[in-house]
Amino acid sequence: MSRISGGKKLIFLGIIVIILLAGLHFTAGNMSKLTPLASATRDLLAPVQKLATIAGRKTINFISFPVKLINVANRNEKLEAKVSELEGKLSQYQETQQENARLKKLLDFKNSAASQMSTLTAAVIARDNDNWFGSIIVDAGSKDGIKRDMAVITPAGLVGRVIKVSSATAEVLLITDPRSGVGCLVQETRAPGVVEGVAGSRGALHMVHIPPDMAPNKGDKIITSGFGSIYPKGIPIGTVLETQKEKSGLFKMASIKPFVDFNRLEEVLIITSAHPGGE
Amino acid sequence: MRSLIFLLLVLGALIIQSTVLHFISIFGVIPDLVLVLAILNGFLRGTKEGAFLGFVAGILQDLVSGGYFGVNAITKMLAGYLAGLGEGRLYRENRFIAAGLTWLCTFLSELVYYLLLYMVDVHVSAMPAIFQIILPVSLYNAVAVLIIYGFYYRSDRSGMLSEGE
Repeated sequence: MSRISGGKKLIFLGIIVIILLAGLHFTAGNMSKLTPLASATRDLLAPVQKLATIAGRKTINFISFPVKLINVANRNEKLEAKVSELEGKLSQYQETQQENARLKKLLDFKNSAASQMSTLTAAVIARDNDNWFGSIIVDAGSKDGIKRDMAVITPAGLVGRVIKVSSATAEVLLITDPRSGVGCLVQETRAPGVVEGVAGSRGALHMVHIPPDMAPNKGDKIITSGFGSIYPKGIPIGTVLETQKEKSGLFKMASIKPFVDFNRLEEVLIITSAHPGGE
Repeated sequence: MRSLIFLLLVLGALIIQSTVLHFISIFGVIPDLVLVLAILNGFLRGTKEGAFLGFVAGILQDLVSGGYFGVNAITKMLAGYLAGLGEGRLYRENRFIAAGLTWLCTFLSELVYYLLLYMVDVHVSAMPAIFQIILPVSLYNAVAVLIIYGFYYRSDRSGMLSEGE
C-alpha cells in the first residue's frame, strides 16, 4: 500500500467515489438479484454466522436464566388461567369451524389461501449489519426451492418476504424495513390501507392511506388483504396503537404494534405454495 | 501486512455485527463496529490512511451485506478521513477524547448515509432517522470506543497493528 504516494491515493479514491455514486444512482430500485460475488460471499459466511448466532443465543439464555426463573411461578399461574379460558374458546371455535365448513360446501367455496398453504421452516442465521434496514438471512435457499417474493410468517403473524436468494441462504425483507409495503385491512371494519416500515429494526410500523371515514380504533387488529399477490390474505400483522391524520390531510394513518417480536426472531415459516408459480 | 490484519478485524466485526451483537441491541440499535474501526484507524494514522482503509472496509461491508453497493464505502471513507483530521491535533492517549471524536464522526457519517439513501430512493422520515438511528448509534459507538480503545491503542503502538509507523 505504501508504494503509492498519499496524494495519488486520495485522487484515486475520489475517482472511485464518483464512479460508485453514478453506479448507485443508476442501480437504485433494481435490488432483486445478488451479484455472483455477493452470493458466494453469503454462502461462504453462512455456516460461521449460524454458529455465532447459536452461540450468542445460548450465552444470552444462560445469563438470563436466573432472572427468568424468578418470574416463572408468577407466569405459570397466569398461563394456567389463560389455558382454561382458551380451552373454552377452542370448543366454540371448533363448532364455528365445522359450521363454516358445512356452509362453504353448500356454497362450493374455495378455501382461503391462509388455511392451506404449505410452509418450510428456516432458522434465522444473521441480520442486517447496519441499523437502517430491517432484513434477516435464513438458512434455506434456492436449493430448498425458495424463490423471490415468497411470504414469510411466524405462528404469531407476518414477518416479511424473500427478496434475494443464494443457493444456501435467503434474505427476508422484514415488514419493518422502510422499503416494505404490505396491502392490509382492519379486520373489524375492513378498511383498507398499506402497512409500511418506519426505519431499522425497532419494530415500528405505520398503516397509511386509510379512508378518513373508516379510521380504526385503538386495539383493532390489522391483517393482510391479499392484494398484490405476494402475501396471502388473512395473515395477522398487528394491533392499532393510535391514529392520526396524514400530512396530506386526505387520509388517516395509524401506528401499529406488530404481533411478531422482530428482535427475537429465531425460526420463520416460508410460504412455498401460496406463491403464484411457486409450486 | 498491517492493512491485511486490519481487514481481518473488519471481517470479524462484520460477522459479530450480523449475529451476536443483535442480542445486546439497545432500542433496536446496534453499534457499527466497522465504522468504529475506520474511525480509530483514521484517528491514529491520519487522513490518508484513514480514508483509504475506511473505504476498503466499507467495500467489504457492502459486499457482505449485499445491499446498495458503495454506500458503506463512501460513508466509512468519510469517517476515516474526518477522524484523521484529529490525528496530531488531539491528545490520543485519552479514551474520552477518542470516544468524543467517534461520536462526532459517527454522527456525520450516518448523516451522509441518510442522504445517500435518498439517492437510492429509500425514504426515511427525518425525525425517526435522527432520533431512532443516528443519535443512538453515535452514542453506542462512543460507548464501544470507551471499552475497546485501550486495547486498540496498544495494538496500534506495539501490537499486531503497529507496522508501518
